[in-house]
Amino acid sequence: MNCAPFDLRDYFFGELAGTDRAGMEQHVQDCPACRAELVRLSQTRDALLALREEEIPQRVAFVSDRVYEPSAWKRAWRAFWHSGPRLGFASAAMVSAALLVLALRPAAPPPAPAVDLAALRAEMSRQVEAAVTRATAEAEARHRSETARLLAAAEERFARQREQDAFVVATELALLKRQMTAVYRASFDAREPQP
Amino acid sequence: MIFRAVEDSDLIARARKGDVESFNLLVSRWERRVYNYLLRILGNREDALDLTQDVFLKAYQNLRKLDDPSRFAPWLYRIAHNEAFSLFRKRRPESTEEVPEQADAAVTAGGTGVFPLELSLAVSRALERLSADQRETVLLKIYQGFKFEEIAGIVGAPVSTVKSRLYAALELLKEELAPVKTRGMA
Repeated sequence: MNCAPFDLRDYFFGELAGTDRAGMEQHVQDCPACRAELVRLSQTRDALLALREEEIPQRVAFVSDRVYEPSAWKRAWRAFWHSGPRLGFASAAMVSAALLVLALRPAAPPPAPAVDLAALRAEMSRQVEAAVTRATAEAEARHRSETARLLAAAEERFARQREQDAFVVATELALLKRQMTAVYRASFDAREPQP
Repeated sequence: MIFRAVEDSDLIARARKGDVESFNLLVSRWERRVYNYLLRILGNREDALDLTQDVFLKAYQNLRKLDDPSRFAPWLYRIAHNEAFSLFRKRRPESTEEVPEQADAAVTAGGTGVFPLELSLAVSRALERLSADQRETVLLKIYQGFKFEEIAGIVGAPVSTVKSRLYAALELLKEELAPVKTRGMA
């Protein structure tokens, strides 16, 4: 389409740079055909620009609504996570902290020797059985002791009750005896003639 | 005290902190260009306006994902491109590439007062003859002034494909517009 060393249309639209552009400028000065093509391109562009922009019939605008606006804390959080340098800093800090913890952590204890699980289970069973037997014996002893204490207390209480009953009976008998004596004397006195 | 123009990157930084007014200022800088880009692709003012609003809403929601604020414009147009072609797919699921004919005739007939109406109509007709991909590439290069690399990022195609689309479109447009241009300028 043209004899230029580069695309004449790239040159026309300003998309050539540096030495390419300089070479093309030199070529255009010496080439009538390319100059004529540039004129046609320019006329076409001018004709297209005859179609002017229209005014927008209704302006676009946004209204701030606090209900839908993110809070300051959320904006700061988003800003943090959308910031490459801050994320990089945070990542480096976390890695440093991890390395520091690993460096300062005490050495791990030596590995435990191999354990005979069957023997361990048997030993645990034996200890559990002994503990149960011991606890049962202690509980029975506690029950026997408590029973003996309760029986002793009951016997003591019954003995005191018997003593009290015996005292009441004796008192009642003495009173009855005095009343009988008094009745007897009264009847004797009534039979004897008065001097 | 140093005075300098408030750049898009300043507004983006403040909008990222939740300053809606900064984002509104950013919108006011770009809404007309995005609207016209969508208008030329969609050919319908209502759709273009709806999608323009959607584009800026998505831009606000994803502003923190924009790695390089200096590349805000290609990023914004990438959203607009996706929205436009998503609408095409919804309306014509069997076709993901071809764009419907320009539906709103008035869109293509807007005279400027400076250039002859005949030229403006001819440009509109010439743009309609292009494929959707070619038309979008012309819009991004001629009207929006993006670099080839930026256009490639917006439309999701290699630079070589972008150049191929643009140059093929220019060949067609040269043929379509040359006679009218000659008459209009005469």
